Amino acid sequence: MNISRIRTLIGKELREFRSNPAAVLPVVILVIVCVALPFLVLVVIPRVTGESLGADRTIRSVVALAARTQPHLARLPPDAAAEAFMFQQFLLLFLVAPIVGAVSLAAYSVVGEKQGRTLEPLLTTPISTVELLIAKVLASFLPSVVVEAAGLLVYAALVLVFGAEGVAGALMSARSFVMVGVVGPLASLVALQMTIAISSRVNDPRSAQQVAVLIVLPLVVVLVGQVAGAFIITTPMLMLVGVALAALCLVLILFSAALFERETILTRWK
Amino acid sequence: MLAAAHLVRRFGGRTAVDDVTFEVQAGEVFGLLGPNGAGKTTTLRMLGGLIAPTSGDVRVDGVTMDRASGPRLRARIGFLTETPGLWDQLTVADNIAVYARLFGLDGVATAVERSLRQFELWDRRGDRAALLSKGMKQKLALARALVHDPDIVLLDEPTANLDPQTSRGVRDLLLDLRRRGRVVIVSTHNLDEIERVADRVALISTRLVAIGQPLVLRRQIFGRRLIVHLAAGSAPLADLMAIAERTGAQDVRRDDQGLSMVLDDPDLGAPAIVRALVQSGASIRAVFDEQPPLEDVYLRLMGGHLEQAGAVALEP
Repeated sequence: MNISRIRTLIGKELREFRSNPAAVLPVVILVIVCVALPFLVLVVIPRVTGESLGADRTIRSVVALAARTQPHLARLPPDAAAEAFMFQQFLLLFLVAPIVGAVSLAAYSVVGEKQGRTLEPLLTTPISTVELLIAKVLASFLPSVVVEAAGLLVYAALVLVFGAEGVAGALMSARSFVMVGVVGPLASLVALQMTIAISSRVNDPRSAQQVAVLIVLPLVVVLVGQVAGAFIITTPMLMLVGVALAALCLVLILFSAALFERETILTRWK
Repeated sequence: MLAAAHLVRRFGGRTAVDDVTFEVQAGEVFGLLGPNGAGKTTTLRMLGGLIAPTSGDVRVDGVTMDRASGPRLRARIGFLTETPGLWDQLTVADNIAVYARLFGLDGVATAVERSLRQFELWDRRGDRAALLSKGMKQKLALARALVHDPDIVLLDEPTANLDPQTSRGVRDLLLDLRRRGRVVIVSTHNLDEIERVADRVALISTRLVAIGQPLVLRRQIFGRRLIVHLAAGSAPLADLMAIAERTGAQDVRRDDQGLSMVLDDPDLGAPAIVRALVQSGASIRAVFDEQPPLEDVYLRLMGGHLEQAGAVALEP
């Protein structure tokens, strides 16, 4: 594998994204929503209505359930514990953002190659299929992760400023790190691999985007399930999910390399 | 140096290329001619390692192009694809620089400058490719295909969208590549242009219809006619036709310029004919070999019976 060729292609993709901000805009908007929504729900609305989160019976019972596996929640006053728990749940949105963002960038990139007929000249170079796939995946992955990281920093800073005492500390846990630092990026990579693999087999690469985004569904189920108190995902469970996603990612790299047929791209993309 | 052996390519039930075989040597310009859908682009793609043949193989200096050897062999090939396929959002210079890096060149900046200057695009290096005219895009695509100074150059319709002056430049480029010992294969519809530069041409229509030097193809198809233009005041044409026939000419015809005829060996027979005609009162203004354009050869070959009969071996 030639790292220089991969780096060259990633550089090319990033320059294209930079010269067309509209491509990155959906990711940015999504992250802004991910940051703004929790503060609207957890800080602004309770202050306007005068009803604290801790007063809600359902939330109290869910927090009590979560506190069994997260002792730092039990050490907080009821209102702060409820707020910390809810801020934690909203972190799940930061899993969805890089997935949707990266898949959208990948689809843009693949559709762009298709429309501009730029892939055929590229395939005349010595670049191998695996190098091409890795470059495509990383070029979409990196900007979305950078935007996500920036969003997370803002999120943490706002929690520190506007959250109740102890909430920011409760949020900075191993669980949060595994969730947004491991599971999120890996889920994003899996979705990207799916997008690229499916893109090479269909006439319209945009349909790949629609399929790959389906990976968001299990995350939404987790978010809703946790908030409803149906179950609590613990840190070890999250780590297991991370390992499973890493394995799936490796399998998909090999699978998509086998599936990506240069000929299909050249002869079926019209 | 570049050999195609019994290339067959099928797409589902459709055969795009059927049993095409030829070899192109270093320092040779080889024209690939044929109607739309004849399999020219598919053949070039197989030669360039972009798609694999269904059967048969492509060899570069004896090395068969396959999945393992593909990247190494592709590094020796410069391929101008049917459409320029430029990254519109990138600058002209970046479009070249990315390829220079992908081909592993050391002095990328130098190579980019040399390429852009060669194709008179240096002044536009900072412009986005989207802003270029069609002709300039084609020139940029050519510059990109040649940035790594490849041993083998495959050009799919290189003069498409180019004005006559730039087309002339491409022709000079092909001649320069030939001088520098490159293998050059050009797929084109521009018969006039290919005739000026190609050492040999292949006419394909899914199968190989004919292959050979344009001159040899022309003689094989039309024979070698001697044209004699006469000045005013010559002896009657009917008399001169009879004299030409008595001196060994066949298929003697007359037109408003003079006579034309077929000789078994024009190099030997023409002086005797001219001598006999002059002695019989002909005022001869010009004598030359008839040169029907390659287009006529093409239309004759593609027109019917030879295509159906299969390939005609017309190698010199």
